[in-house]
Amino acid sequence: MEQTTLGKVEVSLTAIAHLVSQAVVECYGVVGMANKDLASGIVQILQPASHPRGVDIEIEDDCITIDLYVVIEYGTRIATVARNVQDVVKYTVEKALGVQVVAVNVHVQDLRISID
Amino acid sequence: MTDERTRSKEALDISPRENPDAPILLCDGRGLKRLIRFGLAWLERHQEAINALNVYPVPDGDTGTNMLLTMQSAYQEIHDSPEEEVGVIAQKVAHGALMGARGNSGVILSQIFRGFARSLEKVQAFDTVQFAAALREAATTAYKGVIKPVEGTILTVARELAEASVTAAASSQDLRYVLEHVVHAAQESVARTPTLLPVLAEAGVVDAGGQGLLVILEGMLRYAKGEPVSIDSELAAAVDLHALHPEGEEGYGYDIQFIVHGEGLQVEEIRETIASMGDCALVVGDSRAVKVHVHSPEPGTPINYGTSLGSLSRVIVENMQEQYQDFILSKAQRPTVPAEPLSGIGTVVVAPGPGLTKVFESLGASAVVSGGQTMNPSTESILNAIESIASDEVIVLPNNKNIVLAAQQAQTLSAKRVEVVRTVTVPQGISALLSLNYQADLATNARVMTEAAKVVETVEITQAIRSVQIDGVSVEEGEFIGLVNGKLRVRGDSPNQTTISALRETDAKAYEIITVYYGESISPEEAEQLADQIEKQFPEQEVEVVDGGQPHYYYILSVE
Repeated sequence: MEQTTLGKVEVSLTAIAHLVSQAVVECYGVVGMANKDLASGIVQILQPASHPRGVDIEIEDDCITIDLYVVIEYGTRIATVARNVQDVVKYTVEKALGVQVVAVNVHVQDLRISID
Repeated sequence: MTDERTRSKEALDISPRENPDAPILLCDGRGLKRLIRFGLAWLERHQEAINALNVYPVPDGDTGTNMLLTMQSAYQEIHDSPEEEVGVIAQKVAHGALMGARGNSGVILSQIFRGFARSLEKVQAFDTVQFAAALREAATTAYKGVIKPVEGTILTVARELAEASVTAAASSQDLRYVLEHVVHAAQESVARTPTLLPVLAEAGVVDAGGQGLLVILEGMLRYAKGEPVSIDSELAAAVDLHALHPEGEEGYGYDIQFIVHGEGLQVEEIRETIASMGDCALVVGDSRAVKVHVHSPEPGTPINYGTSLGSLSRVIVENMQEQYQDFILSKAQRPTVPAEPLSGIGTVVVAPGPGLTKVFESLGASAVVSGGQTMNPSTESILNAIESIASDEVIVLPNNKNIVLAAQQAQTLSAKRVEVVRTVTVPQGISALLSLNYQADLATNARVMTEAAKVVETVEITQAIRSVQIDGVSVEEGEFIGLVNGKLRVRGDSPNQTTISALRETDAKAYEIITVYYGESISPEEAEQLADQIEKQFPEQEVEVVDGGQPHYYYILSVE
């Protein structure tokens, strides 16, 4: 992705997905990540090790579009939590990679009720 | 124990100011409401300082604002509620915080309130043990809302202060004692945040959200200890934020903020250079972008330095003297510098229009809230005015019958001693204010002012907004009407002619002075013409003409 005098530096999509999922799980209100594969129609809550599978990355002309599939805590303000996730992900990726994030789409796949 | 709890209800009913040393054994819904309000007011004062601390998770400098908006939304839910059950108030607070949650810190704050409220469900009034349990539940609930809780944030502060509350509650039944320990624990916890979260240590700040929570609790403790949260210079100097002193000792220079974009920026070096240029230096970022915040009497110096490093964006230069004044003025609803009270008793007056505002100010009103017919001020704006003045005893003059209720609500919400003198017209308010006796006490003044308001006759001239028949007078829409002491008495074809007929309905001949306050739609010439006409009709009486500038009413006349 970046050409230096010594050679090429490439960051794989998997690496970016890891970076993003790390940032997302620190976001307040996000209590899980879900499988992005909707073909089955079944939302699958991911184990922590598989969190990057809840992240979908697209790169075009050095601009990144990110889709996230998350589970949010029931009883929080979902719109605000999603907005915070967008801010944090954009900031984290741009800071780490120096590449512009054009969109962070947050897909709330499920809510978790941890207290009644 | 039971006896003490029954008795303690009184302990809360007494304003803590009067008896600040008595233990507070129970807190009911009204008590919690005041705690929340003091927390909110204190947060409002520290909003900017908290914003300046914000470097995590995104250094966008809005934590203070977000927490304030969330708290305002929480308080909005309870501000006019007479509910006494603390569980119900806590529930409303949680709901308001949820609905108004802004930003990361706001969402966490809403979860803290949610846990707090859940623990207090069906509780009439909490004691120290229940308070500690609620704080514990608040922390637990807050931790549940995230997969990977980050320590060194508001979460850590919420947990550590809750632990302290449990210990304190085990050794005392006094809520103020527990709250003192909670605030102390929160202070220590906030101070530790940079050791837990490296990004804070790098920026040389404490966690903004944690600081926000601490400030809210400090405000609550101020209430419990009977200390004011309103603005005064002594308090402004006492503001203690660990990393910043926004109301610096060296007077008010400029608040300068910008972001430098460049290659290979040396954050450490920039921080040192900026710090040498002024106070409250805050420099955060990395080799590509650095956010700079500094207070300096010379705004050009840091900006020139910034441009030498790279390109600048989001450059903000603000005059802090102005900011500070705006900050104080915003408390008083309109730009008036709170007058030094001549006595221990302050006065809050509601007045429509700039001219009448000036009249009230010249008569010594401590604060004037803008409002009148069809523009009733909110309970909150009256309350803010009450809190903004330096006196602990306040008399409110609503000057309109539709505002009396809001004034009375403000009275019940304020921690100060407040009397509402039920003036229903502007002349009554003026007459009442003139009779304020600086030597007499609050109750005596309230009585004297009520009497004074009665001896003035009021004439108001306006236009009928619909056809109606009241008190034997039938009017068509658009006709001019004259009200005498609030009652519809005459109708007419022009404001001046209607005024003359209305004056004939009063006992004007038995009085000495007729004062004409002309409204915004009347020219000074028209007002002078009216004065001439009045003088012809009432040669014995003295006529004064004042630019009232009030909307809706062509003229307001006082006859006394």
